[in-house]
Order: sequence, then C-alpha cells, then structure tokens
Amino acid sequence: MRVQRSALTRGLTLAAGLTLVLAACSSGGGSGGSGNGKGDSAGLASCGTQGKANTCNSGATKAGGTFTYTLEKNIQQWNVQDANGNTFENGEALGVVLPEVFVPKPDFSVTLNTDLVTSVTQTSTSPQTLVYKIDPKASWNDGTPITADDFVYYWRTNDGKDCPPPPASDASQTKGCLPQSTAGYDRIKSVTGSDGGKTVTVVMAKPFSDWKQLFGAGYPLYPAHVAEKLSGAKAGDAAHMTAAQMTQAWQYFQKTPPSKYATAGPYKMQDWTDNDHATFVPDPKWWGKTKPSLDRLIFKVITDATQEPTALRNNEVQGIYPQPEVDLVNQIKSIPKVTYTIGNGLNWEHFDLNLHNPVIGKYKPLRQAMFTAINIKDIVSKTVGQFDPKVKQLGSHNYVPGQAGYQDLVAGTGQGSGDLAKAKKYLTDAKFTGVGTALKTPDGKAVGPFNCRYTTGNQIRQSECQILQSNLASLGIKVTIKPIGAADLGTVLVGHQYDIIVFAWVASPFPSANAQQNWVTGGGGNYGGYSNKTVDQLVTQAVGETDQSKAASLLNQADKIMVDDAYVLPLYQKPTFLAVQTRFVNMRDNATNVGPPYNTAEWGLKK
Amino acid sequence: MLAYTVRRILVSVPVLIVSTFVVFLVVINSGDPVANFATSRQPAPSKAAVAAFARHIHADQPAVERYWNWITGVLHGDFGPSVQTNLNIGHDLFTRFRVTVTLVAASIVIALIMAVIFGVFSAIRQYSVADYVITFLGFLFLAMPVFWFAVLLKQAGIWFNQQTGSQFLGTIGEKSPYLDVDTTWNEFTDHIGHLVLPTITLALVSFASWTRYTRASMLEVLNSDYIRLARAKGLRRGKVLVRHALRTALIPLTTVTALDIAIVLGGAVITETIFQWHGMGEMLVQSAQTVDVYRTMAWLLLSAVVVIGFNLVADLLYAVLDPRIRYD
Repeated sequence: MRVQRSALTRGLTLAAGLTLVLAACSSGGGSGGSGNGKGDSAGLASCGTQGKANTCNSGATKAGGTFTYTLEKNIQQWNVQDANGNTFENGEALGVVLPEVFVPKPDFSVTLNTDLVTSVTQTSTSPQTLVYKIDPKASWNDGTPITADDFVYYWRTNDGKDCPPPPASDASQTKGCLPQSTAGYDRIKSVTGSDGGKTVTVVMAKPFSDWKQLFGAGYPLYPAHVAEKLSGAKAGDAAHMTAAQMTQAWQYFQKTPPSKYATAGPYKMQDWTDNDHATFVPDPKWWGKTKPSLDRLIFKVITDATQEPTALRNNEVQGIYPQPEVDLVNQIKSIPKVTYTIGNGLNWEHFDLNLHNPVIGKYKPLRQAMFTAINIKDIVSKTVGQFDPKVKQLGSHNYVPGQAGYQDLVAGTGQGSGDLAKAKKYLTDAKFTGVGTALKTPDGKAVGPFNCRYTTGNQIRQSECQILQSNLASLGIKVTIKPIGAADLGTVLVGHQYDIIVFAWVASPFPSANAQQNWVTGGGGNYGGYSNKTVDQLVTQAVGETDQSKAASLLNQADKIMVDDAYVLPLYQKPTFLAVQTRFVNMRDNATNVGPPYNTAEWGLKK
Repeated sequence: MLAYTVRRILVSVPVLIVSTFVVFLVVINSGDPVANFATSRQPAPSKAAVAAFARHIHADQPAVERYWNWITGVLHGDFGPSVQTNLNIGHDLFTRFRVTVTLVAASIVIALIMAVIFGVFSAIRQYSVADYVITFLGFLFLAMPVFWFAVLLKQAGIWFNQQTGSQFLGTIGEKSPYLDVDTTWNEFTDHIGHLVLPTITLALVSFASWTRYTRASMLEVLNSDYIRLARAKGLRRGKVLVRHALRTALIPLTTVTALDIAIVLGGAVITETIFQWHGMGEMLVQSAQTVDVYRTMAWLLLSAVVVIGFNLVADLLYAVLDPRIRYD
C-alpha cells in the first residue's frame, strides 16, 4: 500500500547520503558516531533472533516522556473497517484507542487481547460456535460498558447485507456501508449477548477457518452506543438498527477522528491536526493491566521517508518505520543512541506471468523453464541483500517463515535456482526448438519477446527485471524492460498489460482469505488469469475448515499444485525497518497490518 | 487604469476555461484511479466497493460532462470529489495555500531586498572584488541544486542544535507538535525556528537569479545618456542612483519577480518535501501520483489565478515605475 518512491525521493536520498559522507570527512574520519560504536545496538538487535520477536527491546519503564512516532501518510478517513479507510496508517493510529479481540504479534501469531476479552472458546464445530467472555471492567471512556451490542453493531455493518453498499442511483455514494472485507461476517448466523451483555455467542451459518480475525486483527471495534445515539437508534439495540441508521454511523466514523467520541484504549486521542500529527495522552479510564507510562504519545506525519533519519537525528521524532534502503540504513547507523532492526516483513516480492498471453498461458514447461532459469540468489544479492544479508528465497505463496503453516514448496522444484541445464531440459523435453538462441514453440512459433514491467523509479524492481532479462536470454527468450507510470500499476494489472511483472503482495496472519482472492479462478487479485479446479476446491475447503492445522495443510496442498503450474514465482520477503532512540523501550517491529504500535501501552522511557 | 484592470481580468476568464479544459482532458487520460483503488489494497475491495468508488469520483461519466459539472461546481465552491473519499478539496487547497504562503513570504521579501542591495552594489562597483564575490555567490547558488543545498542546511541546523544543546531549528513541519511550556513567546520562537532553514533555502535560490537581473539592468541604466546628463547637471550621486537609475532598473526585475513569485506560490515542491511543509507542492505531487483529477484541477486553477494575478500586478507596477506607461 505504500506509495512508490519517486525520482525526486531518490534524489533526496542520494543528497542525504552524500552529505553524510561529507560530514564524515569533515569530522576527521571518525567511527560514524554511533553511541556504542556499532550500529546494531542492543535494544532492537535481538529482534531477528528466533523466538525473540515478541520480547526483544523489553525493559522496565519510568513515568514521563514524550515519544513521537512517524506516520508516512496523512489520515483522511477514520473508519478503518471501510474499503477506503483501510490504510496502514489509519490502523496504526486507531489501534491505540480502539479495542480488538485478537492482535497480530511481531512473530505473525495472533494473541487474544485479554484486556478486552478474557477468553474465546469454540464450543462447537457444527454449527461453528464461538463464545467471547468480555472483561467485566471493559468499558468505553464515557463509562458505557463494552458489551455484546458492540459486537452486534460490528457484525451487522460488516456483513454486506444489513448495511448494503450504496445504490448506483446515489450520486454521493455515501448511502451505504462498504466494508473492507465481509469475509467471515457474511458467514455469521447470529450474535447474541448474555450475562448482562458480557458474554457474546457467535453462531456461524458456514464454518470459517480464520475466525480469529473477526472483531479485530487490525480492524477494531467502534462504540455501538455512539452509533446508536447519533443515528437516533434505540440504545443498546444494534440488532435492530436500520440500514439508514448504520449508514449514518458509518459515515460519522469515517469523518470523525476518535478524539471526538468515546474510545477504549490505554491512551485517548487528545487532538488531531490534519496532515500533521495526532496527540495521545494516557486515558485515566483505562482498565487494562499495563498502564501507559509516557506523558504523551505523538504520531507525526512525515510523507517522505528520506526525511525521517534527519528528524530522528534532530530529536524531532523518536521512532521511525520506513521502507529500508541502503542509504537510509547507513544514515541511521551513524546516529548516536539509536537502535534499529531490519526484519522480514509480510510483504513479499514476486514475478507474475500473464497467462492471458497465448504462449505463456499454453505451455507449462515454458513457464517452469522460465522460473527455473531465474536466479533469485543473484537478485537478492544485488538488491535488498546489500543492506540485509539475511534475506532468503521465499518458498510459499501463502505463508512466510515463522508462521505455523510455512513449508518451502518452491526450492525443491528448482524454481528460482538459476539452474540453466534443468531449465533447458524442460524445453527440450517439451520439443521447443532454438533453446539458448531464439526459442520457438513445438509448433514453430517464436517465444517472445516478452516485456517485464516494474513501477518506474523503483530501482530494486528495475534490477530484478534486468537480472530476469539476462537469465531468460540464456534460454533464447528476449525480454524488454518496460516501466509502469507511478500511478498506473493498477491499470496495468487489471488490464493484463504485461507478460511478466514484478510487484509485492502482503501476506497475512490469516492466509485463507488472501489465497481465495489471489489464486482462485476469478479472484479479485488473480490478475494473471490463473485457473486450476483442484486449487479452487482446496482453497475453498481451507476457508471453511475450522481446524487451523487442517486449513494450513489444504493451502499447502493447493500451493504445491500452484508451484508446479508456475504462475507466480515468490522471490523474497521485503525487509522492514524500525529505528528508535535507545532511551525508550518496548517498541518492536511488527510487520503485520497493525504495525509497531500494537503495544503502545508498554512503550516508555527506559528505567 | 481601472478599465484596463477590468479588461485584463475579463480576458483571463476564457484563458482559464480553455487551459483548465485542456489540462482536464490530459489528467483524466493520464491514469486509472479506479484500477489503482482495486489493486492497491489488501484484501482487494469488493466489486461493489470498486463500482461505488468509480461513481464517487465520477469516473463513469463522459469527459465533457465531468468538466461541465466540475466547472459549475467550482463556481458554487465545490471542487469535486477526491480519490481520498473524505477529503474536502476546497479546504485542502486553501489550507495548503496558506502553508505555502507562510513558507515563501519571508523568503521572497528577504531575497528581493538582498537582490536589490547586492545587485545595485555590484553594478556601481563593477569589476571590483565585491562585484566578483557577489557574482561568484550568485552563480554558486544558481548552480547548486535545491535538494542538495537544503539537505546541507538541515545538517547544519542539526549541528547548530547539538552545539547549543537546544531544539531551536526545526527540520520538519511548520511547528512542533507540542511545547513543554506552552506560551505565546515559545510558540512564536518555535515557529521562527521552523521557518529559518526553508526560508534560507528559498531566499538564496531566488536571490541568486534576481541579483543578476538587478546588476545587469542597473549597469544598462547607469551607462545611459540621461544618467550622464543628470550627473552633468550636478545632481548628487545618491539622488541619481536611487531616484533616476534604480527606479528604471527595477522595471525588468518586476516582471521576473512577479512570475517567479507566482510559480513559487504554486508550490516549492523540493523545499516543501525536504522540510515537510504540507503545502501546494506536496498537493500537486500527491495528486499526480494518485491520479486525483479534481485535486489536480483545483491546484491548477489556483496556480493559474495566481499567475494571471501576478502578471497583472507586474503590468500595473510598470505604470507606477515608468511614467511613460499609461493604461487607458
């Protein structure tokens, strides 16, 4: 979702890098100025160690201090459940003040937010029934308890039926709800409250494997009582709100920053200055186990990542979370008393083949040969490996290493190995001619030239296309490199205006829904036109599987077939980068959709 | 002069209409914001959400109808829908214009004063050491890329803060998000501290070109017959320079500065980006990146009005500076 970096941005990065070189020269060639003499300091350094992702940079805190964290985009729309408001920055800011049931953690697991819900039990698998026990102390900061009514409101606004999308006749397109996803909510049969609303029972009409993403996982609860009051609905009766009333509330939460209504987090939003910053202060009504120790938490909008290191050096911000680049990482290394970590994110880079191309679509051996000839090790070493030597080839289309379901299904096939002999064998076995010179199909048609498309200004992707070009030339396939305008990626994908394209997808702690979108015939993210009935069946089965390990097994079965079909070649997980001042503790890289602010209550000055 | 002004304003209306229509056609054909919306989020929005988005930004309407609706909407204060569905373009436009004006106002005044003083001095001391130094500095600032110079200044600002143990010079934004002691004086100094570095950046770049114009123009005037005559008549040197030479020499500078100011008010893109002032420049860049048709048009409209307005001001200033020019 991040905006591609422009030529201007790259110019600025270069200038900043050169300036640092000058500064280093003028200071007589010192050690680089790191406070402890080395860049990767103790605080976040251990985050990359196996099993430490959720606990690294821990420490006791003392009261006081202000921590300013950067947001890379302005927040224009405050309803993160809405298709338009579903942005990373919005999720980060709202997670501070609104509650959610399950929270994605830095190690990509999801854990129950026991401040909100003391337990969730799947009491039956047929029909799938989930029972949530809300903490008796949990309440909105205007004193209204958090109850089943908040869950009912959430469900009904997100199921795509009770509050339907705006009709075509609505010129303003505001008379309806457009949830970012109805997945799971559209399978719910009923949500009922008991024990004074503190027990919520959810009965599913159809089973849903990723049920832990319901009512949270980056998409928190909004206060139903606020929605009811502003729309004129009966208090505590979200079950009977009309579509018009829900629409009214939906719109209100879009336009209104959470400083204006009741929230339920460790902090409350004190003020929001559009396009500049949000200020959070500890909420005295917070009932949770961890009380915030900071006096103030600020989210500052810095829309150009290359300006973040100087802001950190000048103590205008104390924590940044930009997309890493060689120059940026080097700048951070030279800042004293700053700790940083380069993590493996959920974004993963990949080459896609357009199966609408008659030659690419028709010949599986050709696709297998192309993927085998591509040398991912070479790609990594010439791109992200320059600042993160830990980056490795990714072996799955659905999981990343560290997730329970991850299996390397790609490496064993030789895809991404750059093994030209094996690649050529695929072609000769399939009776292709001109292998290594000018490749022709068994019926004598020329293969290629193909285009490789990348977003203009993205140097890494340009290099990836160049390496692919060189790899495929060895098979006798000519590739031309064709950049895509900064704002045209969508047009190119939807219009199938590519033969080979490189871009990134975001994996998820809940992979079934993503799989359905990207790999199933006609799925919203299946731009290349992949279609395999067995894969469709396995993925659909996985979405409806209540046992998580069985769902993972089904997805991996589907993935094996996909790998063999050679449609998408995963390259690597894109690195993430968190840098914070060492005088603060408990900030960690969380590459999921909630970002590092998943635990802001714990953030504080080191004791 | 009044009739002339009114006539000029009326003539600018068709200019605005034609220019906005041409740009409108270019912008709506420069990309597909609906496709971007459909592909830039995960999970991908539903088909209903994509269709609603297309209708929201009027992507389902023919170009001429869209333009007509836009231009009539503007007359009623409605600048149309943004791809950021909750964004009020009118409010965004004027907020950002205020930010840019705040950013560039001081730099323009400083640059103008410095350009006149140094330009005149350079001219009357032609081929002196001072002239060579001013000329060298002028070319240096002209040749130096703004993004390089601004980054250097930021590093210098951080060094200054570190040496003084203060937080006086800000490198991002127009003010700090909070102040430990929130007094009017602290707010004022905080704002000044954030203005210093971008103001120096913009002022030195403008100064560099304007001082060259002033010097060249002044030299031409100083070598003219009427100045020699004035001196021959025994007028004091100061009077000759200020009343007779400078006034005439300022005429070409007026045209250049009027156009430069108009352009910089449309957004000092690089300076705004480096110092994170969320002004007109950032608005243009963001609008182009997201194919935000109506936001781009709003930017264009205001920039065009500013350019036309400053051109008119320059023409009117001619009459003030040059008694031979009179508009009927």
